[in-house]
Amino acid sequence: MMRYLLYIDPGSGSYLVQVIAAAVLGIAFFFKNIKLYIKSFFFRSPKKPKDNPPA
Amino acid sequence: MLQSYHHHPSSYRDPSGFIFEKGGVLYRQVNKIFKEDFDHFINSGCYEALVKKGFLIPHETTGENLTGTAEYYKTLKPETVSFISYACEWSFDMLKDAALLTLQLLKEAVGFGLILKDATPYNIQWHRGKLIFIDSLSFEKYNEQEPWIAYRQFCESFLSPLLLMHYSKQPLQQMQLAYPEGIPLAVTKSLLPRRSRFSLHTYLHIHLHARVSTKSNTNSSQQNKFSKQKLLNLVSSLETLINKLKLPAQKSTWSEYYDEASQRNDYLEQKKQLIQQWTGSLTTIKTAADLGANDGVFSKLLAEQNIFTVATDFDPLCINNLYAEIKKNNLQYLQPLVIDLSNPSPAIGVNNTERLSFISRTKVDLAMALAVIHHLAIGKNIPLEKIASLFNQVGGYLIIEFIPKDDEKIQFMLKSKEDIYTHYTEENFESAFAKHFTIQNKQKVGSSGRTLYLMKRNA
Repeated sequence: MMRYLLYIDPGSGSYLVQVIAAAVLGIAFFFKNIKLYIKSFFFRSPKKPKDNPPA
Repeated sequence: MLQSYHHHPSSYRDPSGFIFEKGGVLYRQVNKIFKEDFDHFINSGCYEALVKKGFLIPHETTGENLTGTAEYYKTLKPETVSFISYACEWSFDMLKDAALLTLQLLKEAVGFGLILKDATPYNIQWHRGKLIFIDSLSFEKYNEQEPWIAYRQFCESFLSPLLLMHYSKQPLQQMQLAYPEGIPLAVTKSLLPRRSRFSLHTYLHIHLHARVSTKSNTNSSQQNKFSKQKLLNLVSSLETLINKLKLPAQKSTWSEYYDEASQRNDYLEQKKQLIQQWTGSLTTIKTAADLGANDGVFSKLLAEQNIFTVATDFDPLCINNLYAEIKKNNLQYLQPLVIDLSNPSPAIGVNNTERLSFISRTKVDLAMALAVIHHLAIGKNIPLEKIASLFNQVGGYLIIEFIPKDDEKIQFMLKSKEDIYTHYTEENFESAFAKHFTIQNKQKVGSSGRTLYLMKRNA
């Protein structure tokens, strides 16, 4: 897609790295959420987890 | 005929609009080319929500084409920022908060179907005691299938300096001066220690990013579709990483200066009283610069009198502490900055006019230089005449403290260097400053032997 107002250079490879990073992070956050869920199941503490990233 | 306007020298990159000055007022023009995105930004409620949360500077819309240009769509009059500063003058936590603010804005914007099209610290300024986003033309319509266009800019402008400072445990503000567009990923990657690769987030955003960037453009955006969830994962990863970054808890040269100084009899108390008395009598003073502010003990005195004060020190840890205090106590009249008076920020960018030097930005009613002169004259060998000229360019009034040579601090400095400072006397100090200023008051501070002067710049 031709971007009309693309005035900053996204950098060669920057799109690709976002695709790779997002895929890796998707998996990482998926397992992190499972870990947090299991933890909260066994250790029901009033404290909320610090970071609750989107899955 | 339309009165002429002055196009701001740093506002030339983005065709969406530009900043200009007319009749002493700063405006932002929105160009026709950006009409659709800007209307969506306003009509979606994004602008209102961001202003309400204190993330974005508010503006008024004027229905007049003040520039007379054919590209005109709207003219905005943003709220005035008291003092423009740059990231190379911010302490670690200021840059960290600016990075987190940028990510927060991105997340908020996505909720309204918009995205940040750039991510540079120049879009963030100090306003009413905190950092705020000032570029209302940075929000464009979000295409969920595309990655974040400003991702690399964010990594180079925010993440790179923060990571380098975090891992090296060194204040590297000066690197941002060398790379005003952001520290290139390849440079950051080569300077970071090997162990930084073991952090998943650092590896992805810097090491992998730098490696992939060196390969030829794969035009991947057309092959791989992105999604909103993927973008939010990316932002969450950046936030997690940035939140973990911190300065080492080490004591700086000057971070305990006042703890120690306050033990010296009534010195600190008398100095405070004199400053309060003098500034209280000068009702015309609305702005001030405390040059060599340390933890800001005296800057706070001015701020309490509703004098907008820029508190500078060359020690980034002192400024970082002051920033933490401003944040905690919501001090609206104080702005902390890391400035080395012997080498204040120069003018940089295109034609050297894009970003102004610290001195040309700092025109205040009152300059204050307490227990600083010996660091410049003896510590840095700067002649008294040059020091007087520096303060002359900054303030209409000057409160300055002269430290005699027999003072224990100077004697301590002279232990490690030869005393070649025969010219450093109170008489020479007064005559050097008399070229630019008239002494209006002069008082000894307690039994310290130090003298506080109130001077007024000669007409």
